[in-house]
Amino acid sequence: MTTHAACPRCAFDAVRTLAASPVAGVWLVRQCERCLYTWRTTEPVRRTTREAYPEEFRMTPADIENAIEVPTVPPLRQP
Amino acid sequence: MAYDDLRSFLAALDAEGQLLRVSDEVLPEPDLAAAANAAGRIGEGAPALYFDNVKGFTDARIALNVHGSWTNHALALGLPKHTPVKEQVEIFASRWDDFPIAPERREDAPWRENTQAGGDVDLFSVLPLFRLNDGDGGFYLDKAAVVSRDPEAPDDFGKQNVGTYRIQVIGPDRLAFQPVPVHDVALHLHKAEEKGEDLPVAITLGNDPVMAIVSGMPMAYDQSEYEMAGALRGAPAPIATSPLTGFDVPWGSEVVIEGVIESRKRQIEGPFGEFTGHYSGGRRMPVIRVDRLSYRTNPVFESLYLGKPWTEVDYLVGPNTCVPLLKQLRAEFPEVQAVNAMYTHGMLVIISTAKRFGGFAKAVGMRAMTTRHGLGYVSQVIVVDEDVDPFDLPQVMWAMSAKVDPREDVVVVPNLSVVELAPAAQPAGITSKMIIDATTPVAPDVRGNFSTPAKDLPETREWAARLQQLRTAASAR
Repeated sequence: MTTHAACPRCAFDAVRTLAASPVAGVWLVRQCERCLYTWRTTEPVRRTTREAYPEEFRMTPADIENAIEVPTVPPLRQP
Repeated sequence: MAYDDLRSFLAALDAEGQLLRVSDEVLPEPDLAAAANAAGRIGEGAPALYFDNVKGFTDARIALNVHGSWTNHALALGLPKHTPVKEQVEIFASRWDDFPIAPERREDAPWRENTQAGGDVDLFSVLPLFRLNDGDGGFYLDKAAVVSRDPEAPDDFGKQNVGTYRIQVIGPDRLAFQPVPVHDVALHLHKAEEKGEDLPVAITLGNDPVMAIVSGMPMAYDQSEYEMAGALRGAPAPIATSPLTGFDVPWGSEVVIEGVIESRKRQIEGPFGEFTGHYSGGRRMPVIRVDRLSYRTNPVFESLYLGKPWTEVDYLVGPNTCVPLLKQLRAEFPEVQAVNAMYTHGMLVIISTAKRFGGFAKAVGMRAMTTRHGLGYVSQVIVVDEDVDPFDLPQVMWAMSAKVDPREDVVVVPNLSVVELAPAAQPAGITSKMIIDATTPVAPDVRGNFSTPAKDLPETREWAARLQQLRTAASAR
């Protein structure tokens, strides 16, 4: 299920639900479709809302695009 | 006593007063991680934690801080719970000499009780996943034993690797995975990706306590972790064949996850609060597709809190980092007495050694940096005399303060390799490294005024044992 609430970390507006609490209606596990940030709806607001999300952990599209590859993909070996 | 699974070890911890059951309802976040974080802040002898009343879950069972004190580490090795740290390391080193002990294959693995496969795989339905630190990108599997094989030697038991790596859950059947380039699974992945092939993996959760120790231990590429587990347990390690990959996995695991690292794919992962006491990431990491889940009925989910040291991970990888370095150094320098590599997985190492001739201690320090583990971790070495206990930090500080001439005894070598996670590296993966020679100079190195050292009285060792016995007897009353 995709909704259009903002990701707390990168502000992307496509967020999906990964899981719902076994006890119905207690919490959902949500995930940003761009930066893959994953959170539970019952976590403290510093982890669940864009407004309160700490500056040092925020991520921009450039951060995602330019993140280093670990490990680097090796060249294909010729058969 | 050797434990074949996590449950029997939890029962033993309970019997020893080292398992704290939290029966009040707690929130998955921030309570679980905060409790495990707190276990590292309440002083010596912290217990393992067991939660089974977590808000929103119907049948979650979560074990934390299982190895998170020297008391629990001693019990994991089948030792009396008050065994001193130096003695735990010495016993660990002595059992190492029994390597290899062949494992024992069993067919009745309890994780065969339940299965999910293909499109039915849903990690969230089996595991009560939760976040550890504020800035983590998501929920992590961080105390798993990951099994992989060398694609060019798939039948070589020794080259089959069992290792602990950080794994982020990024979907019901998808994981992001961190193979640090110096680690064996990265070599396996490199070979598979060169051929454009996926790399099969089996990820086992909730393992017996020695399996958790060996899977985080820096061993040689072709040494089997299962054969080392047998040596450390003093009994063959029970293993079973995983149904999808056919890999050898621990018999007693709570959960076995099988799938493949998808070839030549990278996706954003992290950040994650690491053993360095700092976050690392986000980085573009390999991705695992999960094809099969096998699990015990009512599985116990074991997780590990790590962050600003000391936390459980420091106990877990403390002795298992000391011993390989001790063995490798002694192989060439029998003068080496003891190695303390339990600070940040051996980024700082303290070595006590006798001296063969002037300048010898610096050579020992340089060798520590060129061991296999040293290439990726050892960036600071303090070398002390043979009569200094490297596990006794006041003694080490005495040696530093009294023996070191900074101009002559501090050696800095620039631009050496280190794991990319090292916070001080610049650029990531490159650092300078330092040796502090805090040993007494010997000929032909004639510096200083060290002719009349004061030494412990000859009777002191006997009195130390006597006082310890008196104290134990008094605490038992």
